[in-house]
Amino acid sequence: MALRTFETMGPQHGFGLAKRIQQISGGALDLNQGTLYPALLRLEQRGWIQSRWGVSESNRKAKFYELTRAGRRQIERESEEWARTVALMERFLRAAGEER
Amino acid sequence: MRALLSRIAALFRRRRLDGELNDEVGFHLAMLEDEHRARGLDARAARLAARREFGGVAQTQEAYRERRGVPWLEDSARDVRYAARGLRRNPGFTAAAVLSLALGIGANTTIFSLFYSLMVRRLPVSSPDELLSLRPSDTRFVQVSYPLYREIAARTDLFAGVIARNSGGRAGFGKTDFIAAERVSGNYFDVLGVQPAAGRLFTEYDNRPGTRVAVLAYDYWQRAFGGNPGVVGRTVDGRQVIGVAAPGFRGIELGRCPDEWLPIEYLNEFANEHIMGFAELVVRRRRGVPVAQVESALTVLLNRYNRQIHSDPSDAYRPKALKQRFEVRQAGVGLSQVREQFGKPLTVLMATVGLLLLAACANVASLVAARGQVRWRETALRFSLGATRARVVRQALTESALIAALGCALGAAMALWGRWYMLSFLPPDLGDSFGSPLDRWVLAFTAGVAALAAVLSGLGPALRFTAVAPAAALRGEPERGGRRRGLRSSLVVAQVAFSVVLALAAALFGTSLAQLRAADPGFANRKVIAITMVLNSRAGQAAQGAFVAKLGAMPGVASVATSQFWPYAARESISTPREVRVPGSERTAQAPAPVEQQDVSDRYFETLGSPLVQGREFSRAEANSERRHEMAIVNQEFVREFMPGGGPRASSAWRETSPTKGCVSGRSLVFLLLEQRPEPIVYRPAPYGDGFCILVAAQHPEALLPGLRREVARLASFGFVREPQTLERQIDESIYEDRLLATVSGCFGVLALLLAAVGLYGVVAYGAAQRSHEIGVRLALGAEPRGVLWMVLRGALWLVAMGLAIGLPAAFVAARAAGAIVFGVRPQDLRLYAATTFALLAAGAMAALLPARRAAAMDPMQALRHE
Repeated sequence: MALRTFETMGPQHGFGLAKRIQQISGGALDLNQGTLYPALLRLEQRGWIQSRWGVSESNRKAKFYELTRAGRRQIERESEEWARTVALMERFLRAAGEER
Repeated sequence: MRALLSRIAALFRRRRLDGELNDEVGFHLAMLEDEHRARGLDARAARLAARREFGGVAQTQEAYRERRGVPWLEDSARDVRYAARGLRRNPGFTAAAVLSLALGIGANTTIFSLFYSLMVRRLPVSSPDELLSLRPSDTRFVQVSYPLYREIAARTDLFAGVIARNSGGRAGFGKTDFIAAERVSGNYFDVLGVQPAAGRLFTEYDNRPGTRVAVLAYDYWQRAFGGNPGVVGRTVDGRQVIGVAAPGFRGIELGRCPDEWLPIEYLNEFANEHIMGFAELVVRRRRGVPVAQVESALTVLLNRYNRQIHSDPSDAYRPKALKQRFEVRQAGVGLSQVREQFGKPLTVLMATVGLLLLAACANVASLVAARGQVRWRETALRFSLGATRARVVRQALTESALIAALGCALGAAMALWGRWYMLSFLPPDLGDSFGSPLDRWVLAFTAGVAALAAVLSGLGPALRFTAVAPAAALRGEPERGGRRRGLRSSLVVAQVAFSVVLALAAALFGTSLAQLRAADPGFANRKVIAITMVLNSRAGQAAQGAFVAKLGAMPGVASVATSQFWPYAARESISTPREVRVPGSERTAQAPAPVEQQDVSDRYFETLGSPLVQGREFSRAEANSERRHEMAIVNQEFVREFMPGGGPRASSAWRETSPTKGCVSGRSLVFLLLEQRPEPIVYRPAPYGDGFCILVAAQHPEALLPGLRREVARLASFGFVREPQTLERQIDESIYEDRLLATVSGCFGVLALLLAAVGLYGVVAYGAAQRSHEIGVRLALGAEPRGVLWMVLRGALWLVAMGLAIGLPAAFVAARAAGAIVFGVRPQDLRLYAATTFALLAAGAMAALLPARRAAAMDPMQALRHE
C-alpha cells in the first residue's frame, strides 16, 4: 500500500504518507502513525524505496522516501499476484456457491 | 541478504541513526501539531493530540531499532561484554576454567595435528589419489628387481607412469655432513607433477651410469645454501647440482624426507640381476583404471616373472615365489613406515586425549555449576524481571563459549609446544617429515573441539541452575540443594572415572617401557657402534673393503666384526629365511622349515659381548676358506626347536639348501629383538668385510664416533651409508613409540589426576561451607574435630569410590584394546589396577583433606553467629 502511494504521489515524507493512507482508507485503518516508521525501514532494507533528507513544504527538515526501480518491479509483481489471488478466490467462491 | 548487510552496517552507525530517527519523528510530531493548531487547538493541547495520534514514541523507536539492527548480534555482543566482566571479576574461577580447557584442547590439537599429518594429509603432488605403491606380498622384499621394474613400466595400459625409487640411505654431501638422499628414476618429478624452483629436474637421460647430478630439496637448499640460485650448475662433492624441487615437496615417503635426489643408475653391474633389491615402485594409474584391475594384472605379471626366475623345480623358494602377489596401496597420503608403526600409538593417544578433554569439560562444568549456585539470587531476580529461561541459558552459554575461546587460544599455543615435544621423541630423520605445524584443518579441528567443550561444560550447569523458582529464591528461602549437589557430585565421579582410565593407561605404558628397557637384547655390549652401508658397485665394495681393513688398526678400537644384517631388528624381519632340514628332528622330517639366517664374520659374538654357551667362534681363516659352508652357530631357540632331547652336539649334521656339517650352539642371541619372541637363527661364517653391517667395539665409543662419522661420510658417494651410532642409542630410537606413549600418557594421567583433585576439592569445600551451620552445631554439642574431619573425608572418598567403580571396568576394557602394543606386561595385571586405585584414593584424600581440616578447625561460635 505504501509502495502504491509512492507510485501515485511521488516522493513523500512519513507524515505525508500517513495522511494519504488515512485519506484513502477513510479512517478505516486508524493505526498509530508511529508504526509506519519501522515498516518504512523494512521497505528500505529490501531496497524497494530509498530515502534522502530534504526540506518540506512547511520549510522543515524532513526525510523523503521514493520508489526505486526494484520497488516498481515489486509493485507489478504484487499486483499480478493479487490479481491471481482474487481470480482464484472468485473461482473458488463461485464453485462453492454453485454447489450450494 | 541485502537487508542483512544494511542491518549489520547499521550496527556501526547506531548513534547517528538514532539521531536521524529522532529528527524524523520530531518532524512528524511537528506536522501533526501544526495540523491540530490549524484546527484551533492551543499549543499544549495540539502537542498532546499529536502525541496521541502518533502513538508511543519510545515504542516506535524500539521497534525501529529492532528492525534496523541485528538484535541477536547486539544481544550476543552484550552477553559477551557481560560475561567478560563476570570473568574478570572472578580471576580464580576464570584461570582454573581456562587452564583446564586449554589443557584439554591443547592435548587434542597436538595429537590431532600429528594424526592429520600422518594419516590424512595428501602429498603436494598433482592428483595424489592416482598414486599407488606396489609391494611384493612377501614383506621381506619391499623392492623389486630391475628386470621386473622394466616389465611393469611397460604396462602403459595400466599406468601413466612408473617410478622406481630407493630411500633410507644417507649420503654425504660435503665431507662431514650426513644428509638424506633418495635415488629415483628420471621420470620421478614428471610423474608426480612437481615443478622445479630453480634449474631443471631429472629426465630419463640422467639415469645413465656415471651421471653425477643431484636435485636439491627446497628446504635443504635454503638451509645449506641460503637459497642461493648460483648453486645450480655448481659441482658440490663430485655431483653437479642441476636444480631445486618446488617448495613444500618433501619426497613421497613420510618420515624419510630427502635433502637431495640422485638418479638411480640403471645400468651398473647389478642392474640386470634378478635381485629383489633394485627399487620400490610407485605408480600413477591411468584415469579410469580401477585399483582391482591393477592388482589382478600385476598378480599375473609377477607370477609369469617368478616362473621364469625360479624355473628349476628343485628351487626351494619356488613354491613361495609362485604364491607372491603385489600389494597395491594408495600412496596419495605418502608411503610411510612411520604410519604403520606410529599410527597405532597415535590412535591410542587420540582416544586418550578425548578422555582428557571430557575430564577437563567435567571440571569446568563443575566450576560453572558452583558459580551458578552463587548466582542463584541473581538468576532468580532476572527471571522475575521477565527474562525467559532460554535467554538466561544463552547468557550462561556465552560465558562458557568465552572460556572455551580463551582456552582454545591458550590450547593452540600449548599444541605448538606439545607437537615439538612429541616430535623430539622421534628419530631425527622421522621428526622433520611432519611438515607445517598448524594448517587450517588442524585449526578447524581445534575450533570444533573448543565449541564442543563450550557446550559440554556449559549446557548442563546452565540448564540446572536456571531451573529455579524465582519467588522462593527472592524470599530468601534456601535452595533445594540436594539435586544441585547431585550434579556436581556426579561430575566429580565422572572426572574420577576418566582419570582412572588415564592413570591406568599411564601405568600400562610406563610398565611396558620399563620392561622394554630392561629386556635382554642378548648381548652385553650395548655401546657397540653399528655402521650400515649398502655400496652396490665394484668401486664401492673396494672402498668398503679398504675401510674395514683400516678399522681394526684404528686406535681405541677393541674389536671389529661384520655381518650381513643388523644384530637386531626391532619389529620386522629383514633376513631371508632359509629352509633347513635337521636330522633327527620331527619338525623337519616331512618338509624343511624356514629359519632366520645371519652371515657373520669372526669375532662377531665377542664384539657384541655375547659369549657362546658352548663351542667357539669361527676363526678368520675358517671364514675365508671353503670349509665355512660346513660350519654354523645356532642360537638356543634353534636347539630347542630342532634338537629336542639331544642337545647341541658339535658333530650333529644337518642340511639346509646346501649340505652343512658341524654345529656349535650359541647363547640365545636375540636376532629379532624386543617385542618379538626370539626365533631360531642360524649364524653362518662369512669373510670379514662382507655384509651391510659393521660392528665396532671400543673402550670409549663416544670418542671414536666423530672420526668414524667422517670416514663413513666419505664412503657415501658410492651408495648408501647410515650414520654410525651406538646400538644402545639405536635401540632407544627404535622403541620411540613406546617412550612416547609412556611419557605422553604419563603426562595425561597426571593431568587428569590433577583435574579430578581440583574438582573434588571444589565439591568438598563447597559442601563443607554449606554445612558449616550443621558442623558448628555438632562441634558446639561436643563432637570431636577428628570425627568432623572423618565425616567430610568420608563423603569425598565415597565419591572417589564411585568413580573407581565406574572407571576400573572401563579402564580394563581400554587396556585390553591397547594390549597389542604393550610389551612384557599383561593388560589384566592386577598390580596395575591396585596402583591406579591407590593413586586415585591418595589424590582424593589429599584434595579433600584441606577443606575437611578447615571444617574441623572451625570455631563453632563464629559459625553459629554467622547464620
